[in-house]
Amino acid sequence: MTLRDLIPWNRTGSVPVRRGDGSPFFPLQQRVNDLFDSFFRDFAMTPARVAREEWPGVFWPEIDVSETGSEMVVTAELPGLTEKDVNITLERNSLILSGEKKEEKEEKGKNYWHSERRFGSFRRVIPLPEEGVDEQKVRAEFKGGVLTVTLPKTEEARRQHKKIPVRTAH
Amino acid sequence: MAHEIQAVRAQSPAGVEHTRDRKIFIPPVDIVESKDAILLTADMPGVDEKNVHVTLEKSVLTVLGEIEPVSVKDRKLAYEEYEIGDFERSFTLSDEIDPDRIEATLKNGVLRLVLPKTEAARAKKIPVKTA
Repeated sequence: MTLRDLIPWNRTGSVPVRRGDGSPFFPLQQRVNDLFDSFFRDFAMTPARVAREEWPGVFWPEIDVSETGSEMVVTAELPGLTEKDVNITLERNSLILSGEKKEEKEEKGKNYWHSERRFGSFRRVIPLPEEGVDEQKVRAEFKGGVLTVTLPKTEEARRQHKKIPVRTAH
Repeated sequence: MAHEIQAVRAQSPAGVEHTRDRKIFIPPVDIVESKDAILLTADMPGVDEKNVHVTLEKSVLTVLGEIEPVSVKDRKLAYEEYEIGDFERSFTLSDEIDPDRIEATLKNGVLRLVLPKTEAARAKKIPVKTA
């Protein structure tokens, strides 16, 4: 170890981390998050999530949801899949992603030294704000194993997002 | 032929400093042996062929996949399950791998490496003659 290694800012982001292993407290934090998620699920505030440790070995695409003033964007990590392998449906204020990550056939029956990748079918239901998404304008794009679904907000939903000008008082 | 490839606890090659302030993740890999080669498959969603680097330094094979972040102004993250970051992992190859014939392909976020065995290392069938 050199002195340089002791400087904290030199370390940020420089050591590869296995997903989910970022911190020793991650599993605990995950559990607590899941607990909160399941509590708030009744209010349809977060997507239903199955704790991965309860289903080891099952492929479970991870999603990020972000939003701007005019649209919502859902991205899902689906390595090895193409647009033909995924079904995207809108149903009662939910975006449903389903499909199957298939194992490459040619590798079956060979000697496995290492097996970490996960396969199988999946179905994810992502709740959307009620009356908030313009269903006609939803578009989806697949690139490099990442699916991006862009859901433009309706005029009504946009109106709810209003910037209030602040005036200086005299 | 045990442990042709050993998955090394991912480390950067000695002395290399990462200049990008971004998280680095270890991609999940499958390693499969066939008669003539070792096949290594790694899931790296979001990486395209321009941003994947496979390097062989002495006997250490390093795969690095860089993510091009999408930056959209005013976009707020509402819910996060995966974080954006690059993928990196190193493997130690034995001398039974022919370093000149390693092939790499990237398709739909999955990197496939074919590591052919050297002539000497291939399994040979010895014909048995009747005496």
